[in-house]
Amino acid sequence: MSAVPRDVEAWRYSARAWQALQAQGFVEANSPVELPASLLEHFDWPETRDHRLVFVNGEPAEARHAGAEFRLHDGERLHLVFVNVPHDRATRWQHEFDVVLDKGSAEIVEQHIGSDGVDVLGEPYSRVRVGAGAQLRMTTLSNLPDSVSLYRREQVAVAAGATYFSTHALFGGRLQRFDLDVELAGEQASYAAHGMFAPRGRQHIDVHLDATHAARDTRSAISWHGVADQRGRGILHGAITVAAGADGADAQLQTKNLLLSPHAEIDAQPVLEIYADEVKAAHGATVGQLDERALFYLRSRGVPLAMARNLLIAGFCREAFAGVVGAELQARLESALAARLPQVTEIPQ
Amino acid sequence: MSMLKIDNLHVRVGAKEILRGITLAVNAGEVHAIMGPNGAGKSTLGNVLAGREGYEVTQGSVVYNGKNLLDLEPEQRAAAGVFLAFQYPVEIPGVNNTYFLRAALNAQRKARGEPELDSMQFLKMVREKLRVLHISDDLMNRAVNAGFSGGEKKRNEIFQMALLEPKLAILDETDSGLDIDALRMVADGVNAMRDPQRAFIVITHYQRLLDYIVPDYVHVMVDGRIVESGDRSLALKLEEHGYAWIAERKLAGAA
Repeated sequence: MSAVPRDVEAWRYSARAWQALQAQGFVEANSPVELPASLLEHFDWPETRDHRLVFVNGEPAEARHAGAEFRLHDGERLHLVFVNVPHDRATRWQHEFDVVLDKGSAEIVEQHIGSDGVDVLGEPYSRVRVGAGAQLRMTTLSNLPDSVSLYRREQVAVAAGATYFSTHALFGGRLQRFDLDVELAGEQASYAAHGMFAPRGRQHIDVHLDATHAARDTRSAISWHGVADQRGRGILHGAITVAAGADGADAQLQTKNLLLSPHAEIDAQPVLEIYADEVKAAHGATVGQLDERALFYLRSRGVPLAMARNLLIAGFCREAFAGVVGAELQARLESALAARLPQVTEIPQ
Repeated sequence: MSMLKIDNLHVRVGAKEILRGITLAVNAGEVHAIMGPNGAGKSTLGNVLAGREGYEVTQGSVVYNGKNLLDLEPEQRAAAGVFLAFQYPVEIPGVNNTYFLRAALNAQRKARGEPELDSMQFLKMVREKLRVLHISDDLMNRAVNAGFSGGEKKRNEIFQMALLEPKLAILDETDSGLDIDALRMVADGVNAMRDPQRAFIVITHYQRLLDYIVPDYVHVMVDGRIVESGDRSLALKLEEHGYAWIAERKLAGAA
């Protein structure tokens, strides 16, 4: 049983949701479960079949990989699928793994999906090392049913001259908590993150992005888009620390958020802590509603109101996918997004 | 019967009355120019006709093809053939221009009970219109107006008009901020669409545009009222004497 997290400040907005979740009385998932065939279509992508690994409740679904460490080669691609499958009682699973890229460039797609039913809580924990001069591109898509919760932690160390690009799209789930710590450990290391979440219903999504500039001339750029509808709750905590001696750092943090309902809530907290000299840093956070002028513009061209709203919401979220390389992956994210927008019903004329 | 009949229209924004009794009839096939100084209420008229929120009609009526236009939602007006070329076209990042226009055209067609166009049919139509208007097709692959220059935005408005083929097109200061080439392109676009079945209301501050789009009627709006109507020569007189001339004549008339 997971205790209430100790870091009170970091759990300020989610401690109650976490406690309520724990009332499900989770037990360890220790008996194997079948992978439901109905989930196959969500991750069985022709373009990734030859480099895909599937985990069911934290256990590898295929024997060919035990899944403790992924040592990537230049040009390698990896599609990791974490599937949450309910038991007859609430279960939780944990899974730890390491990703190492020593040189060259590589790409990972990490996906979290599940089927609805009795509660499941997944707790994956990963450590990522990007070696000197290497480039790692990470895209994560978590698209969960309302009975699945995810507490995902990722720690990334980026060496000198290396780059870590990431794009995150977070949909659904009862509670999603994502802690991503990136350390720019070597000179001229850089980190670029785009991301979005779209909580609706009673979904609660809490994202903590922490970037630490620990060396000279390092760069970070974080951009996050949030859309909350109904009673959805989103939290984006973006913290950039420029350590003493990390002179010449460049840190950018932007978050833009849309509230679609009076009961929806998004808390955006950009935090910059700077202990070095000659640092370029900027941050900004906005929370607003759909642009009435844009809505009128679309409607004046004949687009019905509900469709106009969806076009604007999708367009807003799509800005978070700008860094994704590859039309197929882009299309996967787009269709996940489209399925999570309010369904447009036909308006009788 | 007039296509559009505006009768004694009074419109308020907040506590301020902007339109103070506009009466205007527009027939199919006609081009009406509405001129006037800043703040006269010209853009308000365009916005009210297109259905923008935030305007309170306190008196009067607007009948379009026999229907009460003011009862219709903006998208219903569009489907009925009303088009407003915006003075300040809105930037919509993340929404592709082609996708948006196809959604708009098909929504209109659907509302009118016409078959929707598939992507091949739509692209064929887009190419035809782009060719006629001499617009490059990279405009179509970008997000709606996002990062467009002032001229590109206005071209995009005219392109949308050409594609949607409205019955009543209202151009709200489409000429403002355009260089002479862009102005010609806008005028050519409008002139190519002049048709016995179609009417235009061209709102402008300057007579310059009317050298290229020759109107059938010119109306001068001051302080929320049409104070003078005439033919094309009225625009030329305004150009010569300025709006002060109208104000003086008004005073003289009142005395």
